[in-house]
Amino acid sequence: MRADAALADRNAAVRQAARSWQEAGAIGEATLTAIETTVPDDRVRVGPVFRGLLFLFTVLAANALFGFLWLLFFDDAEDPGLGVAAIVYGFALAGLTEFQIGRLKRSQGGMEAAMSLVALGYLIGGLGWFALEIFQRSDEIAITWVLTAAAVLFAAAAWRWGYPLYAGGAAAALLLAVARFPGGRLFWIVLPLLAMPVLLRLADSERLPPAHRHSCNAVLIVALIGLYVAVHLGSFESGLVEEIQGIPRFSRPASTSDLLWWLSVAGTALVPVTLLAIAVRTRRYPFLIVGVGTAVASLVTLRYYVHLAPLWVVLTVSGIALVAVVFALRRYLDSGPDRERRGFTAEPLFEDLARQRLLEIGAAVTSLAPEARTVPDEPRFKGGGGEFGGGGSTTEF
Amino acid sequence: MNPDVANAIPQLVESGILPPEKAPRLLRVARRELVSVHGELRALLYFGVLLITAGVGVLVQQNLDRIGPAAIAAGIGLAAVAALLWVARVSPPFSWREVPSPNLAFDYILLLGVLLAAADLAYIEVRFTPLGANWTWHLLIVAVLTGLAAFRFDSRLVFSLALSTFAAWRGISVARFGTDFLWERTGNTVRWNAIACGVLFVGLGFALKKSDRKAHFEPVAVHLGWLLILVGLATGWGESRLWVFYTLAVLLCGAALAAAAYHFRRFPLFAFGVIAGYAALSRLVAEAIQELIFGCLWFFVTAALLIFSLIAAQRRMKEPL
Repeated sequence: MRADAALADRNAAVRQAARSWQEAGAIGEATLTAIETTVPDDRVRVGPVFRGLLFLFTVLAANALFGFLWLLFFDDAEDPGLGVAAIVYGFALAGLTEFQIGRLKRSQGGMEAAMSLVALGYLIGGLGWFALEIFQRSDEIAITWVLTAAAVLFAAAAWRWGYPLYAGGAAAALLLAVARFPGGRLFWIVLPLLAMPVLLRLADSERLPPAHRHSCNAVLIVALIGLYVAVHLGSFESGLVEEIQGIPRFSRPASTSDLLWWLSVAGTALVPVTLLAIAVRTRRYPFLIVGVGTAVASLVTLRYYVHLAPLWVVLTVSGIALVAVVFALRRYLDSGPDRERRGFTAEPLFEDLARQRLLEIGAAVTSLAPEARTVPDEPRFKGGGGEFGGGGSTTEF
Repeated sequence: MNPDVANAIPQLVESGILPPEKAPRLLRVARRELVSVHGELRALLYFGVLLITAGVGVLVQQNLDRIGPAAIAAGIGLAAVAALLWVARVSPPFSWREVPSPNLAFDYILLLGVLLAAADLAYIEVRFTPLGANWTWHLLIVAVLTGLAAFRFDSRLVFSLALSTFAAWRGISVARFGTDFLWERTGNTVRWNAIACGVLFVGLGFALKKSDRKAHFEPVAVHLGWLLILVGLATGWGESRLWVFYTLAVLLCGAALAAAAYHFRRFPLFAFGVIAGYAALSRLVAEAIQELIFGCLWFFVTAALLIFSLIAAQRRMKEPL
């Protein structure tokens, strides 16, 4: 990242924290203004709605321009110049991104993010086109090559422009690339374990700007998911990671070894527990998020292999248990001194509750609303009709 | 951990900007010595409610003959009553203003109670047909009851469910609307129902705001209403003869919405208007353009012009970050 962009990023982190303190009532308007004067912001930023609009129309304009220029000068998808043109265009857009972040001091502005994304798309697409042309007898090598190139490009973009999403993309592309080699599953286990201590240290490093620290957390989340997929029983039995090698396997297990099967069973059970234990101990969100997600996945896996009870019992009891656990946790945390225990509290600290409520409303409208009745050619009376769906289910009586 | 904030807090205290008594708690949060799991607990509660309602759905579907309709109806009804009684017991007194939730679980247990009650009503209607030939009205009854619960217990979440249930009564749901729109299968009745629902929701939002009664529900009604109006009109683009009428309608509505939203600083509505207006204009132009190259030129030039206009509009509107 450029030094000025890194400084602006650090200042933005303080300003954002101050705004959340003010929204939570911890400080007054005057204090917020004083803090914002102390840590000035020299970046050109826009709010979330305009950012979204500018992102959308920049993606549209950038792609339309390439289409126009290509049709004007070449007009042939088989033309060998397509790969070159895509790469040249990708570099041009990368230059424009650099210009916007550097000279124009844009940040959280939508346009520079859109241009960087389109630039990466054209660079990876152009390299992919070349890889397919060069290795035309083996698409497998070409795919490995493209995944490696994508990992490098995403990593470079995350390092230079500070987008955590690209860091996560780089980690995912790297995992997919190594999965294409023999012993890919082992890489998926070893690489995250090796990277974890380094990523944890970097995610707290004062020397890195916030964007790079967030990038380390994004890589950590992808690495932990990769680790869980590698040890997961379903993935072991279906040879999911081995499928990525591209050799037709017809869902054969990763290995016929009983020992490895039992290790996979143990891994499916233990990884979520370990992640949640680390989350409680270190109070790190990546472990908490992936821990909860993998715990749900492991319980679903348990239900798939062991039929303890009918589906409706499992769903209802799990739901009631989940609600009960939340009540118990809330009570446990609230009963501690200052409503906290071991550094955790159920009280909202300085978080954006309005955004969370908005997400809930969106989810309710899309997933909890009943299925619409059929309006055209509606019968006057049809006993046995009528539907109601809740929680994603559709119940027809 | 946020080292930049952790480093800044002592400096802000030293320079007299931040009151010293505030610093310790802020510092603990910045150093990750104190972490809130409020959001995570809410998400788990929401997920728990989804699991329970899905379980009830499967129960009704798979065990109808074994358990018997009366037992199922009574069981679901009792569960719904239990949830709603708990909500009524802990709920603060009614007010037309915004009322803070008494606790973390309040909204979700209310949601659970409403969903179970709705499922029970639907089930009773199907099995025992108390509404007879008017069986389709049960969705309206559910929508009204859900709406009343939303107002009484001040829940925007349940209010959004009431609106979407009302729309379902008129044949509109997100899933069906999405697929029908993609495959250009939306019938004329559903289209006009969607538009009418949209107008009704926008009107309801306006009335709530104007009367200052549950005015904080207004954004839910207005956003959903405008989405229904614009998407409803846009489903007419596939019509062989009337597509021009529908496209012009989207163009005019989008432009009017964007202008009004610009005036009143309503950012999401401004985005709806801009996207709808641009899509409609492009639909009209696409019909006239035969060559792909001119299509690319159109999208490049207009998107670029729009970007400059948006930058200028943003400077005037000053959306908070």
